[in-house]
Amino acid sequence: MASSSDPDKLMSKADKLTKLSFTRWNADWKSATSLYEQAAIAYRFRKDNEKAKDAFEKASKGQEMISSPWDAAKHMESAAALAKELGRWNEVSDFYHRASELYRECGRPQPASDALAKGASALEEKSPDEAIKMYDEACSVLEEDGKEQMAFDLYRAAAALYIKMEKYSDAASFFLRLGSAADKCNAINSQCKAYLSAIIIYLYAHDFQQAQKCYNDCSEVQAFLNSDQNRCATKLLSAYEESDAEEIKRIAQSSAFNHLDHVVIRLARKLPTGDLQAIKKADDGEESLDEDDLT
Amino acid sequence: MTVIDILTRVDAICQKYDKYDVDKLNGANVAGDDPFARLYASVDADINQCVEKAETAKQEKNRAAVVALNAEIRRTKAKLLEEDLPKLQRLAVKKVKGLTREEIATRSDLVAALPDRIQSIPDGSSTATKKNGIWGASGSRTGGAIKFDSTADGNFDDEYFKGTEESNQFRGEYEMRRMKQDEGLDVIGEGLETLKNMASDMNEELDRQVPLMDEMDDKVDRANADLKNTNVRLKETILQLRSSRNFCIDIILLCVILGIAAYLYNVLKK
Repeated sequence: MASSSDPDKLMSKADKLTKLSFTRWNADWKSATSLYEQAAIAYRFRKDNEKAKDAFEKASKGQEMISSPWDAAKHMESAAALAKELGRWNEVSDFYHRASELYRECGRPQPASDALAKGASALEEKSPDEAIKMYDEACSVLEEDGKEQMAFDLYRAAAALYIKMEKYSDAASFFLRLGSAADKCNAINSQCKAYLSAIIIYLYAHDFQQAQKCYNDCSEVQAFLNSDQNRCATKLLSAYEESDAEEIKRIAQSSAFNHLDHVVIRLARKLPTGDLQAIKKADDGEESLDEDDLT
Repeated sequence: MTVIDILTRVDAICQKYDKYDVDKLNGANVAGDDPFARLYASVDADINQCVEKAETAKQEKNRAAVVALNAEIRRTKAKLLEEDLPKLQRLAVKKVKGLTREEIATRSDLVAALPDRIQSIPDGSSTATKKNGIWGASGSRTGGAIKFDSTADGNFDDEYFKGTEESNQFRGEYEMRRMKQDEGLDVIGEGLETLKNMASDMNEELDRQVPLMDEMDDKVDRANADLKNTNVRLKETILQLRSSRNFCIDIILLCVILGIAAYLYNVLKK
């Protein structure tokens, strides 16, 4: 192992082992893989990110060839982390996807979703759409496996990202997904908080009808009906109906809101937004129609 | 030296020198043998005390203290009137040796004067009687003889229900205290809500970790069983290796090698 200190030599040796040529009919993946691994570690130690990333890729390929997907996935993840440092965002996404697939091959959905979540958080700044897709995939992987409890954080992160992108209805839908996942795991507190957050998001987006509908849907859930959050929601909606801005502000300062996600708290503090009168007019219009219908 | 020490020392010294205290001796002598004189002296002292208390009561601002003092004065007055006065009267008439007839007469006069003195001590109820007197003088046609209940007379004029300055102040204080209590309770309430939130989050986290622990338990059990198997097999292998024939062969070969080494050593040393 005298040449182990020089990663370039190791790399070339390993390449020679794997390249099929006249003299070599079968590639010797086993030794090549171990050489690739050593080289990759040496590169990382020297902070040579580019070469380390390549070495990890090749090591991962080698592990695949000798059919150990777990190690392959691990190497892919390291390669992805290095790609993140280098700033190659599409590579990051590809690597993490590949790693997650390999984990799923091993039959381990949790590391798969972890890999996707890591990828998503790495991509949050640069390409939020891609990140959202990855979060979505990660959540579905866990849902399929029936392990929604681990998914709570992912839902919250995805919803926060949507809020940042100002896609409020999507964010609210994520919160509702969180609510249903919490329902399955009997996590009442998280469920009620999720529903309250969804209602707040709808109100923030000036969508009073949606908020009402959402509230009605949630009220059918017994657990929500008996909770503090339900009372807050009722107060908030009634304050909205009366177009009482002061009241809304007061309710938003109340303590039930302080335990929600901080992005949602920020939205709540900014309530009421938009024209309360417009909301009221819409309501009144509906009522007059009803009266006409009755007579 | 503590205060207690000083007090005990002073007491001891006073006791020692009491016999030189002329005033005390005189005082003791005066009332020494004569029960009448003693009782009279104590009644006198009580009356003086009551008068002093009445003076303090007049100057006291705190209503509660005034009421307490007045109650004490009334109690002492009642005691004096009911118990001590009859005793004094009896003792006054008794003939004591060494007293002239005139002195006995003076004593009776003194005793007669006592009730008035006692009654005249102000104890808070006298103001009511005075008021009644004024009322009686000004308005009543029945003369001042009929005494009405001093507390609930018909003086329910406007002044009675209007808040005095003191009662307004009191009410204001009460409101302030209630507001402060409300604030305190709000703070406690918020703290409790935070605690509740944290507790339910912890609850959910633990629920999340239970299946993970179960999985881990299974895996560790499996690994344990595997290890046990491996150990047993290893033991068998080693036992096979260490059968006696192989052992002897090992020893013989070792000796041979040592012999060769010694021979080479000798050769090289030369």
